[in-house]
Amino acid sequence: MSENQPLQFKIQEEITELAASVNEIVSRFRELQNPLRESSEKVPIATEQLDKISEQTEAATHQMLDRVEKIVQQVEDSKKGLDEIKVYTKDGRTGDISALADVLIEKASVTCNDAYIIMDALQFQDITSQQMNHAASLLEDIEFRLQSIMGALKGQPDDEADGDNQQNKRDRVYDPHADLFDKRTDQSAIDDIFARKG
Amino acid sequence: MADLKILAVDDSPTMRRIIMNTLKRAGYNDVIEASDGRDALAKMKVEKVNFVITDWNMPEMDGLAFVTALRSMGEYKSLPILMVTTRSVKDDIVEALKAGVNNYIVKPFTPDTLKEKIKQVLAG
Repeated sequence: MSENQPLQFKIQEEITELAASVNEIVSRFRELQNPLRESSEKVPIATEQLDKISEQTEAATHQMLDRVEKIVQQVEDSKKGLDEIKVYTKDGRTGDISALADVLIEKASVTCNDAYIIMDALQFQDITSQQMNHAASLLEDIEFRLQSIMGALKGQPDDEADGDNQQNKRDRVYDPHADLFDKRTDQSAIDDIFARKG
Repeated sequence: MADLKILAVDDSPTMRRIIMNTLKRAGYNDVIEASDGRDALAKMKVEKVNFVITDWNMPEMDGLAFVTALRSMGEYKSLPILMVTTRSVKDDIVEALKAGVNNYIVKPFTPDTLKEKIKQVLAG
């Protein structure tokens, strides 16, 4: 009995230590649940933003292509008109030249206007750039949380892992609601807000 | 229009080009640009500006902080300021109004809206 006592104490000590280790592991895993849940919640938002970028870029590109096709047609028509002017000049048909010149001036004005419409449509670049920054920021957050989890599993202290993450994180500026088509408040409602102030 | 110097503040070079082109088309030829609030304040130290068009989301100093800074300086208390931003949530618009902007446009804007708002702000 007395011979077994030290062994019994040793086993008891080992079991107590083992239980403490198991408790620590369980509590560590519980701590890891939050970043995992938060990360999984951010994935669909990032995916949605990326889908939106793809859709809005395509829509804006089509708008611009429509205008470019119109401009190309107008330039083709203008070329034909100039060829006609050459013939009229040869034949001395000054009245026809003048009438055709008016048509070509009008066409040039429409072409110029279409070019301006393309320029205005390029505002989509600022909006999709903000959407991309939002998506990138969400993905970076997920990456950092996963790095924290990996760090925790390796026994790295949280503040050390967070410090590494903060150093790597880019300072991104964006409006999370930036949208090419969906304005949360339309211009007339904004005008009302400012009119009430006045 | 001839003696109006406009400062266009936006961190997006694309937006600055679009705004400057729109302004020139509307007859406003004296336009300078800045990439954020801090850059704008530095430019305003050396150039007299009569009208400011500013974005909200910008690095270093955002549009709201820039407007607040301007309104805290005696010489810019009544400077016309138009905010042009993607932020369209009502609370943001009210916040910009409280900070001191004279009017507000949500991107993407049409050239007509920009011209109309400049006229409205200048008319007081």
